Amino acid sequence: MVSPGRISFRSGPQIDMVLLLCSVAIATFGIVNLYSATSVYIESSRSGIADIYVSQVYWIVVGGLIAILAAAIDYRHLERLAYFFYFGGLVALTLVFVLATDIRGSSRWIQVGSFGFQPSEFIKILLIIVLAKYLHNDPRTEPRKWVDLAVPILLTAVPAALVMAQPDLGTAMIYVLTAATIIGMVRIRRSSLFWGAVIGGTVVSLSWKLVLRDYQKARITSFLDPEHDVTGTGWHALQSRTAIGNGGLTGSGFMSGTQNQFGFLPDQFSDFPFAVFAEDWGLLGCAALLAAYCFLCIWAIHIASQAKDRFGAALAVGVGAMIFWHAFFNMGMAMGVLPVVGITLPLFSYGGSSVLTVMVGLGLLMNVSMRR
Amino acid sequence: MSILVQRSDVGEFRRRYRWMVLICLAAFLVLFCRLVLLQVIQGDYYRAQARRNIVREIKLATRRGVIRDAEGRVLAANRPSYNVYVVPSELNLEQTWPRVVQFLGAQPAEANLLRQKIVDASKDDRRKDQQLLLLVDVDRDVVALLETHEDELHGVEVVPVPVRNYPHGEIGAHLLGYMREVDADDLTELESRGYHPGDRIGAVGIERRWESYLRGKRGSRKTIRAKRRMAHREELEAKYLDEPRMIRPVPGRDISLTIDVELQQSIEKAMRGQLAGAAVVVDVRTGRILAASSKPSYDPSIVSGGQGIDATRDAFRRLYADPLKPMLDKTISAAYPPGSTFKPFTALAALEEGIIDSATEVDCHGGYEYGRRFFRCTGVHRRVHLHEALVQSCNSYFYAIGAHERMQIDRLAKTGMSFGLGIKTGIGTNPEARGRMPTRSWYVRRYKGAFRGGFTLLSAIGQGAATVTVLQLALSYAALANGGTLYQPQVVRSIETSDGTIVQEFPPRVKRLITIDPGHLSMIRSGLRGVVHEKTGTAHAETVEGASMAGKTGTAQVSHVTPRGVDPGKVWYFNRDHAWFAGYAPAEAPEIAIVVLVEHGGGGGKNAVPVASRVVRDWLKLRERERTPHQTAREAANEEEGT
Repeated sequence: MVSPGRISFRSGPQIDMVLLLCSVAIATFGIVNLYSATSVYIESSRSGIADIYVSQVYWIVVGGLIAILAAAIDYRHLERLAYFFYFGGLVALTLVFVLATDIRGSSRWIQVGSFGFQPSEFIKILLIIVLAKYLHNDPRTEPRKWVDLAVPILLTAVPAALVMAQPDLGTAMIYVLTAATIIGMVRIRRSSLFWGAVIGGTVVSLSWKLVLRDYQKARITSFLDPEHDVTGTGWHALQSRTAIGNGGLTGSGFMSGTQNQFGFLPDQFSDFPFAVFAEDWGLLGCAALLAAYCFLCIWAIHIASQAKDRFGAALAVGVGAMIFWHAFFNMGMAMGVLPVVGITLPLFSYGGSSVLTVMVGLGLLMNVSMRR
Repeated sequence: MSILVQRSDVGEFRRRYRWMVLICLAAFLVLFCRLVLLQVIQGDYYRAQARRNIVREIKLATRRGVIRDAEGRVLAANRPSYNVYVVPSELNLEQTWPRVVQFLGAQPAEANLLRQKIVDASKDDRRKDQQLLLLVDVDRDVVALLETHEDELHGVEVVPVPVRNYPHGEIGAHLLGYMREVDADDLTELESRGYHPGDRIGAVGIERRWESYLRGKRGSRKTIRAKRRMAHREELEAKYLDEPRMIRPVPGRDISLTIDVELQQSIEKAMRGQLAGAAVVVDVRTGRILAASSKPSYDPSIVSGGQGIDATRDAFRRLYADPLKPMLDKTISAAYPPGSTFKPFTALAALEEGIIDSATEVDCHGGYEYGRRFFRCTGVHRRVHLHEALVQSCNSYFYAIGAHERMQIDRLAKTGMSFGLGIKTGIGTNPEARGRMPTRSWYVRRYKGAFRGGFTLLSAIGQGAATVTVLQLALSYAALANGGTLYQPQVVRSIETSDGTIVQEFPPRVKRLITIDPGHLSMIRSGLRGVVHEKTGTAHAETVEGASMAGKTGTAQVSHVTPRGVDPGKVWYFNRDHAWFAGYAPAEAPEIAIVVLVEHGGGGGKNAVPVASRVVRDWLKLRERERTPHQTAREAANEEEGT
């Protein structure tokens, strides 16, 4: 026991108490909220759903153990194994197409024993690691040209294309945004940035024409013109906004939001847990939650700035970016400022793969923090 | 163990951290601002929206007012009918649906169509929780089955919907009118007055004219759309429902008519031998319409949709294809040349102008020369005075009046119009034909300046361009009978609440007092009496025993234009003139005026007189009974309820 906020750990690395407390706080909010979100089902025929908060606790415990492992082993070991993990991940992602079970028209899951897992979730971490390694091994002083970034772009594009084909637009978007944040750490020539924007725009517009499925387009168009369609996709967005607005300043109270309790929120435990939270706790609760996520992201940047090597710094930024983009997109879509794409809210949304991924990410963050 | 050699330059990243922090803060600030907007600034809006989501307002049906005749007998009422609704999200398609199909007795093809309808609705987040109309006017036995098995049929609802029913069928149909479903055009106008798609509204007749009274007002009841937590319904309702939770429906007003349904039936019976025509009976002391009948008629129960939409569609197709025009209210919506029934008014005008008196004599040799034309009479009547001219319907006498230098066509029109002929009566039940009393200026306009004296001669015998409606003529004869009071026609006597309390009564309204010299009037009336009671009278032979009445026969000439769609073999019928009888009864102390028009009934009123005299005879019988103490049907009903 030395200074407040740091506990000695085998006389070497120190546990980052700020990171720990912040994570525990969000996870606690998440579980409590999940209880409220699924309480509707307690007396119904689908009472199994009412117990998923218990499974969420299990996943967080399991995730916590893995996170301890991820924090304990020096992150620099990962650097050597980065490509090995990365290609392993790609193989798993390809296997999805062979082995996957269909959920709502998209195949994302591989069934292992009694539970399924989503390789596309874990790829997020593997992508961060492999990009961190690439940047670590490629230090430069002068601004980079377009070609200098070809490898990291390719490393991102391959898994992004694979999940797009599942199809899973949201996850692909997270890959691209997280990778862009990591790559954004290096200096890039202005002209390359310009051409990047041009090519990016072309890819987006081409994918609109050729790659996106109708339901994905519908989600985006209904976001751009919400009044046009209030029965289909726009309906979900509208009900979510209504739930948030219904919370008001102080909220309806725990398990008292009518939008959730009367079943007007779609996917209230996976895609829209924030709407449940906002309805129950109001603006005050939401402000606290926003502050917690915001603080976690900034703390990740802080850890990056303290890291002793480029690999650690990129790793920390990567994990921070992953959490940031998830939180921003999920809450943004619940509030109706962003289109509805299936992106989870870290530690709030129910789901084993999602929880484990975030926990591993937090473990890595802790790892970097402990070895500055 | 040293795993990694420190060889990287962390400095390259350093300049980015501040930007990242700023972007992160900005992003969360944007989200926070959005939350402030949603939760605080627009909070009330979304709270109301959320409340609307969970509160369901159930409409409570009202009861349309009953229409009764003067004696309290029901002419239009409501019959219960049942519609079947399902709530797609609550209906189990695997287990419940096959049972529903079994109870409905639906054919597989029909069942599949209905199933598809449910499946479609259940895919729509908005509609899946709402009632979906499955079937209308389901058979009673099916209703009984569905209601006995209510517990097993979760998500199926049987909703009673009253359907308009007219127990007397075709009798008085034109006057009563019928109901129709409101269409999209109506709704833009009527939605603010509480009409919804699928509602019924009075289409014509009393049903339309008094719609706002008959309709009543819907009630509503709020409930919670508790899908999963049914156990706490009351608790939830107390928590989430605003007052008032229930608004009781207000039943429509009942309407009592001046019509006597027995008299109406008597007309129907008397007209049995005729294909088409119209008859009106008015009380000469009040202007109240005691009976109004138009033939052929239709069954308002069927066209109102009481037997399903297919029956309604078929009925309309048939009715509109019929060359006898069953949908037309021939008592007021069509105008015909009055023919000889106009002669009393010509005579009055001539008497007032001093052109004729009781001693004026005209020699009828089968017609009248006027200029180079010969105007025909119905026969050779020889020397006639006013009395014989009316009794025998001598045209020559009236041609002479028309030809007199002091008689103008406008004078004839003025007399006719003072008796309400050629002027809308304002009864308001159905679209009214105005009719026409042609004036000199009308002819000038119509024939491009060429007015000829012959027009006045034609007008004097009620031919030419003059037209009147059956109701106008009845009111004008009522004025002859009562000494010159022209009444506003009345068909509604009072408006009552559903428990019988009178809300509004309509006393008789005089439209105009016509100044008639009593001497002139008695000459006319003696002539009209002679038409029926003297051997030479045009109505004498056809009048049935025991009908004390006075009146005038008439022929309305028909232009020989065959209506479309008529079988060539039946053209002779459509080329025949219309037969009139206009009069009042009893002859000495008149109480009713009666006008009968038999379409294509032939010349001389031969076919109209028996109809009128039979009705008068029946009316006399009814009046006898009325004078003995009796109960009205309403009183009898009330007494029964009391015991």
